[in-house]
This record gives sequence, C-alpha cells and structure tokens, in this order.
Amino acid sequence: MSESDPPVVLIVEDEPDVAETYKLWLQGDYEVRMGQNGDEGLELLDEDVDVVLLDRMMPGLSGDEVLSEIRKRDLGCRVAMVTAVEPDFDILEMGFDAYLSKPIRSEQLHDTVTNLLERSEYDSMLQEYYALVEKQATLEATKSSAELAESDQYSDLTEEIAEMREGLDDTLGGIEDDDDFIATLRGLSNGDEE
Amino acid sequence: MYDLSSVLDFDALAEVRPGSSILVSGPAMTGKEKLVYDILADGARDGDGAVVVTTSDKAASVVEEFRDRVPDLQGAQLGVVDCRGEGGADPELIDGVSVHQVSSPGDLTGIGIGITKALEGLHDSGRERGRLALVSLSTMLTYTDKKTVFKFCHVLSSRLDAAGYIGVFTIDSGAHDQQTIQVIKQAFDGLIDIRDADGGGREARVLGLATEPTDWKRI
Repeated sequence: MSESDPPVVLIVEDEPDVAETYKLWLQGDYEVRMGQNGDEGLELLDEDVDVVLLDRMMPGLSGDEVLSEIRKRDLGCRVAMVTAVEPDFDILEMGFDAYLSKPIRSEQLHDTVTNLLERSEYDSMLQEYYALVEKQATLEATKSSAELAESDQYSDLTEEIAEMREGLDDTLGGIEDDDDFIATLRGLSNGDEE
Repeated sequence: MYDLSSVLDFDALAEVRPGSSILVSGPAMTGKEKLVYDILADGARDGDGAVVVTTSDKAASVVEEFRDRVPDLQGAQLGVVDCRGEGGADPELIDGVSVHQVSSPGDLTGIGIGITKALEGLHDSGRERGRLALVSLSTMLTYTDKKTVFKFCHVLSSRLDAAGYIGVFTIDSGAHDQQTIQVIKQAFDGLIDIRDADGGGREARVLGLATEPTDWKRI
C-alpha cells in the first residue's frame, strides 16, 4: 500500500445483503473488494489487500480453507473471521488475526479493521527499527570505541534508534492485549522472512 | 519494583522497573540458566508468579528445579511453556503445574499462545507480579534468523511491559557472531554479562539498568 492510496479491504461473504452493508460502512475510508465465495475471494486477493473479512460458514470453500490458502501464499494481509457463533480461544490458534461475531455493528467493524491496519503498521515500523539496529551493530562490530565516539554517523544512528524505540512503544500503544500480541507474532512468522 | 540484588549482588539490580526485559549473556557453562532460575525462584518465594519458556530442559525437570528451590511453591504460581516439540499438543499438568506444549522453538506464534495461557493462569490465581525466563534464545536462533528473533524479543518485551512483569532471557555468547549479539542486545532494556574469571570462578557486570555500566565483579 502506498502512502496516498486507501487501504484495501476484501470482504468474502456469501450473503449479498450482509456484504453490501459492510461495503457501505467501509467504502468511505477504504477501497473495498467483494467476493461471494471462497474461490472468488481468492481470485480477488493480491498483495494490495491489507485486510480480509472472511465469513467462516460459506458454501464451497470454507473460511478455514480460504485462510490456509491465504497463509500459504504468504501475503502480508490480516484476516478477521466473521462468525455466527462466539468462538472460544482457539480462534487465534487457528490462524486468524481477529474475529467478529454476527450481528456486526458499523463501529465494531471499523475498530477491527483499524486495529488490524495498526498491527501492520507496527510490523513495518519494527522492520525499519531492525534495519537501524543492524546498521548500528555492524558499526559496533567493525570500529573501535574511539572511532565510534568520533563518528557522526554512529551518533545520529544511536539517536534515531532511541526515537524509533519510543515511537514503537507509544504511537500504537505497543501491545495492548493478547490478541494484539498473538497477531503481531503471527505477522513475524508470516512476514517477509527469507 | 523488582529486587534482583539478593540473587546477584549489584546495586543496579536492586530496583528493576516492572516491564523490564534483561538479556543474560555469557559463554556456555557459566551458570546463565541457574541464574535465571534463581531469579524466578527468589520472586516465587515472595509470591510472584513465574513463567519458564524452555527450549532445552524437559518441562518435568523445570518443575522439579522449582520444587527444589521453592519447597512451598503453589502449582498455580508457575507456568511452563515447553518448546522442545516432544510433548503432545495438549496442555498437561505436571505435579500441579500447567505445561503448554509448542511444536518447535521456531514456532513463534505457538510460543506466544503458550505464554498467553501461562500468564492467564497466573492472572486467574491472583498474581499481579511475575517473572518470565526464556532459556534460551540461542536455540531459537538456530531455528529462525536473527531479525525474527529480535522482533520476537521486542514484541514479547512489550507484552511483559503491559503485564508489569520482568523478563530474563539467556543467550550463549560463544554460539553467535558479535554482530548477532549486538543486534539481539538492542531488543532489551538491560544486560547481565557473565564470563569466566582469570584464575577460576566467574564474574559479571550489569549494563543498561543504571546510568553507567557496572564494573566486572566476581560472583
């Protein structure tokens, strides 16, 4: 997603009325795509998609099957499961980043999408932070402490790292609850590693 | 505040802020594991909760270690996350202590879920303070690259911060290049460095928890 384009939300939902309602709520803030079943959803899925709202009970491919295909393709998107029954804890273990139980209100939908986008933003900040830390470590490993004390590049870097670290802790409130914690860790495993 | 100075006698460890994560670094066989277990056991004697994430010791031996150190340990006071991938998938109870199994030391999401459940268990039993030990990052680094381990440490630190816990994580400094150690260090608030002393025994120093690094001191 580039800075100027709105984030992309993909709704995979077999009930047209329900899907339309979600779209109405979201289209002011996001680019919305709609798939009527799992296969259509997967066709509309590419690396531009930031958040997927996935109905769990659909004819054809089930939500779980669509999810495992999404994870297999190793796209960075976040997936919220939409379900008719209140799920238990195992939802996180199944690989979803969040869940919503029907009926969903507009505010709730917005909150969930916002939170999932924040998780992604946290990931990219963490990525940036890591790049700085790695650069600093390389300098430390190759230069003497006298050389480091003289180096403007090193002191700039140290300062930048300190700022970034605070930003990570504050801007997005760090890790607020268990769902955030697990979703963020899942992001690390699903991310761009090797 | 957490007082770790009764385990390792440094002023810099007398008042450790809740939410702090500390890296314990040293060559193999310098007592890093013993140190972090001591830190957890010391807290447990005062009623703190304890969570051990292990990649090498069997959950049963961890529980035994704690029973030895803290004879009146209550089962609900300790949670173990066993990442060796040798147990089944189901949580089990060993001698009153709940053990959460994770498929491998590289399964970060699984480790996170295990930690979440362990914290939940402690919370339910009314523990508001607690200490988490992860032994060891070196094993995790053989399963995952250092970037991922770095991020994992950072995210876990944030979670501990939210819980008001402290964390102690071991790393074998001889098993990784210097740059890797430097990178991993940055994910922590403080560092306890251990090394073999000249003429036998060991010495340690503490960095990052007070304004100045301490000197090396025999332990």
